[in-house]
Amino acid sequence: MPQQEVTIKMENVIEDPSYNYFVSAAVIAAKLDQATHIAKQLSLTASNARAVALRAGERAAGFRPLTDFIDRLAEITITSSKKINTMAATLSKTSATKVIADNVIKHFDLVFEKASESPFISSLDNVFTKCKIKQENLNYQYVRQIDELSDELSMLSSELRNAVILATLSRVEASQAGAQYQDALINVADNVEGAASKIKAHIKYSQKMVSTLQ
Amino acid sequence: MKTHKLFENNSHTWLMFGRDNEKLEKIIDSNQYMVVTKNNSLLMDPGGIELFSAMLAAVIKQVPAEKITHLFASHQDPDIISSLGLWDQALPAATLHSPWIWESFIRHFGMENIKYDAIADEGGEIKLEQTTLEYIPAHYLHSSGNFNVYDREAKILMSGDIGAALESVDAPLFVDNFDEHVPKMKMFHQRWMPSNEAKNDWVSRVRKLEIEMLCPQHGRIFKGDDVKRFLDWFEGLEVGLTGKKLAEKQC
Repeated sequence: MPQQEVTIKMENVIEDPSYNYFVSAAVIAAKLDQATHIAKQLSLTASNARAVALRAGERAAGFRPLTDFIDRLAEITITSSKKINTMAATLSKTSATKVIADNVIKHFDLVFEKASESPFISSLDNVFTKCKIKQENLNYQYVRQIDELSDELSMLSSELRNAVILATLSRVEASQAGAQYQDALINVADNVEGAASKIKAHIKYSQKMVSTLQ
Repeated sequence: MKTHKLFENNSHTWLMFGRDNEKLEKIIDSNQYMVVTKNNSLLMDPGGIELFSAMLAAVIKQVPAEKITHLFASHQDPDIISSLGLWDQALPAATLHSPWIWESFIRHFGMENIKYDAIADEGGEIKLEQTTLEYIPAHYLHSSGNFNVYDREAKILMSGDIGAALESVDAPLFVDNFDEHVPKMKMFHQRWMPSNEAKNDWVSRVRKLEIEMLCPQHGRIFKGDDVKRFLDWFEGLEVGLTGKKLAEKQC
């Protein structure tokens, strides 16, 4: 219940134009952290599937290679989620620093406006230029980090498309394994599909958030 | 933001900045002070983030940026020094002088460039060319690590929150009727100052100083005989009060 409530609230927040971009980046990091946990469950599912397939013997011979694919999918998802998590955390840090740098420039602009007549106003030129360069560098870093994050999310999303194929193949192979093991193997297929679907939802949400940053 | 010259001689000038009519409604108005010598300036209790642009604009009308070489924070409160992260960008070569006890806290306001000079509990002094300014310990008045700045030559004591009063932005600069001023500062001192012992110790030390102007961070400046009136009043005031006891003492 609390999870659903949070999701609903966050959806509303995304629509809010005043929503701070450094908060968005932190939310993406949190989402991908959740994806990592789900991918770890996927890895456990692969181990269980391997054990069931071994017990089922020859009748589940076609299932065994699929467990390797489930393992690979879990591994790719964990690695990629961790990477995205780190990228989003870095982006969050860059965004927060960018907010401060933008704020400094805003304050300087006000000073230049308020003290335009001051004989000493040009004494601020050097520090202003330094702050402006810092702001531009941060802007550049910010844009680059968003692009990289966006690419990595797309890559993981396309990898997860394989989960649907894996689940379908798993169901076909499960039907060959005999009544004793069929349910357990179908359960594996459901778990793969369910985990992939949850991770995809997190990715889709993150992609939506990234699009608000661009 | 208004600027007033409080003192001037051959070696240095005291300026006061305050009465900012552009400040946000719920932010307390504050007084900032600056001592200017030929090549240096010490800006005292430069204020909160919201005040920064008004403060820098006011200061830059008086001196070039490179001449603002020193900042002083009497203690750690946000209305004193939360603008530090912005000063840090504007004055990268400056030094901040502040109680040692607050260094690791004040750095949270953002300090990449400015150097921190930690003032020991017993106080000390800072020399700006020919001018010497003394850090007078005022611990627990109200902050647990707290200093005033005293100028023996100008006979000015920048007293931080001691003597502070809650006033409107159009209030006069100096106390003109001490008795009428008391209600504006009584509750503040009773509620914010935690220690009668610390208060009395401060009063006995400050009585030995020659003071022409006692300059608090909020409200009006005490001048001439009103300085002694303030010390007498403060000595007799019971502080560290809350709730019912505080309400009773307002009568």
